[in-house]
Order: sequence, then C-alpha cells, then structure tokens
Amino acid sequence: MTNSVTRWVAIGGVAVLALGAGLYFGLGVRTPESNPAAAAALGGLALPDAEGRQQRLDQWRGKVIVVNFWATWCAPCREEMPEFMKAQTEFGPKGLQFVGIAVDQADKVRQFAAEIGLNYPTLIGGFGAMELSKSLGNTLMALPFTVILDRKGAIAHTQLGVLKPDKLHGIVRQLL
Amino acid sequence: MAAWVGALAIAATAAAAEPELLPPEQAFPFSARALDDRVLEARFTVADGYYLYRDKFKFALDPQPRDYAPPPLPPGKVKDDEFFGKVETYRGEVVVKIPLPVSMAGQSIVMTADSQGCADLGVCYPVNRQQVTLVVPAAGKGPGPVVEAHPKKKRWFQ
Repeated sequence: MTNSVTRWVAIGGVAVLALGAGLYFGLGVRTPESNPAAAAALGGLALPDAEGRQQRLDQWRGKVIVVNFWATWCAPCREEMPEFMKAQTEFGPKGLQFVGIAVDQADKVRQFAAEIGLNYPTLIGGFGAMELSKSLGNTLMALPFTVILDRKGAIAHTQLGVLKPDKLHGIVRQLL
Repeated sequence: MAAWVGALAIAATAAAAEPELLPPEQAFPFSARALDDRVLEARFTVADGYYLYRDKFKFALDPQPRDYAPPPLPPGKVKDDEFFGKVETYRGEVVVKIPLPVSMAGQSIVMTADSQGCADLGVCYPVNRQQVTLVVPAAGKGPGPVVEAHPKKKRWFQ
C-alpha cells in the first residue's frame, strides 16, 4: 500500500466517524435542556392532586423544582422516593420543591403516600403526563423519569431511571 | 488523531449517561398462533434483563367467543414487594394457552395482549398493548403460522 492510499483510507475513516458522530449527536441524543417549549408546557401544567384539587406547577415558580414522574406499580420509583423525602426535608427551607406526577389511580397514590408519609405533593397524571414526559426527553415513556427546573423554570436536568442521592444533591446544591 | 480520540470519548460519555433501554415491543415481543380450532397460544419472549408482571396480563379476543374466560396463566417467580406483598414475575419465555369454548375454525380473530414489565436497570414501562390477527385452522388442521406483533425489520448488513 502506498502512502497516499494509506492517507486516503485514514481520511475516509475520519469522515465516516465524523458522520457517525453527527448522526449520533444530531438524532440519537436529544438535549431536552434546550427545549424551552417543553419547559413552558411543564411550567404551565395543571393537574389534580390525590385529593382531587387542581394544582398548577407554576405555584412553585421561583423555587428549584424536582418533578418526578412515577407510579405505585413501578418498584424502582417507590425505592427512590424515601431519598427524595430526605432531600425535601434538607433542602426545602433553601428553596427546593419536589412535585410527583403519578401515572396511576388516585386511590393507590393516596394509600402509598400515607404509607410512606410522603412530605411533598404528588399530582395525578394520565397518558397526557406520559406524553409530556416524552416531549421532555423520555422517548420510551418509562418510569421513573425526573426533571429538575431551576428557579427561572428552565430545565436543568432530566433523568430516566433512578436518580441517585449523590447526583441529586450535586445538581440541587448548584441550583439553590 | 487527538480529535478522533476526543470524539470517541465524548460519544462514550454520552452513551453512558443514561441506561440503554429497549422499546417495550423489543423488550417484550409478543407473538401468537392457533394450535387448532379450539386453542390459541400466546407467547412473550422477554429479553434478558427484563421481566413482566403476572397479574398485569390481559388477553382479549375479537370476535369474543361466547362464554370466553380469561386463560389460566403459568406460575411466575414469586417476589416480595413491600407495597403489594407477593407478586409474581416472568423472565424468558412466557407461553399462555387460550382455550376457546367453541370451535372457531375458519374465523379470523384479533388477539389483543396487554402486558406490563420493567428492566433490571431500574425502569418500568406502562401497560404495553400488542395485537395480532390469527386465522383459526379447521379441526385437526393445526397449528397455524406464528404471527408476530412487531416483526423484525430486515437489516441491510445481516
């Protein structure tokens, strides 16, 4: 193989890689953090709580809001909630507000909330809530899915799957 | 070269940021066939690292034969759940035989299967509805062909 052929093969390789990376970043990985429309839809959301009272998410505007999509039928969701309750106690006075959105039946949510002594509000969302989470980056519409909004209502972080306490605390401390 | 390594490193970091999950129809692919004119067979092939809840299964037939009863489900693996108590889950292959109270030979039946499951990575999917259409063979002429709810697409490089 001559030098020039080697060079062309190398350039071709880099080009393929660059194209791959472009496709990967352009299509594969969405950054919901830069999706103001979805953030606005979330900020303006109004859903009933487990007692049937309509609650608007913008009533907590100005705080750092952790919106957690969950369900009682989702074991990993239930497992991470005690950590959320601890964080609510620790960071609540500094301006942190957890809000659950349960993709579930109100009676099951009430029962579970009472059982664990849930110390933050949880709203009841249906399929519409799942669609909203999809627009926020939860393309598989799986649970748990968590969105952290900064004090201005912009999306600071989204997480599919359990949000570990270390990660949560790190993000929250930065935003408070 | 440095840029190349850099791009790879960034791609690897981005990929590691969130668990790689299958869409539910690939995690819990559903297929069915008619064994004969009186028995249908539903099958879930649960991908490794995923599981389905036994009590969330629901099968509906259209047209629904008279006196149709929900089929018996095979026993699952018992798991202790803090909130729900004992729950049964399935991994691997789940086969459910659906007896028809009367012969439906020659008829076309739409089978709708609802299932719900989770991934060991720590996420759960909402109820997943999958559908197949089966043509029931004449008495003694089964089994009919396996019908997949989401047939795999042919790939270019395989």
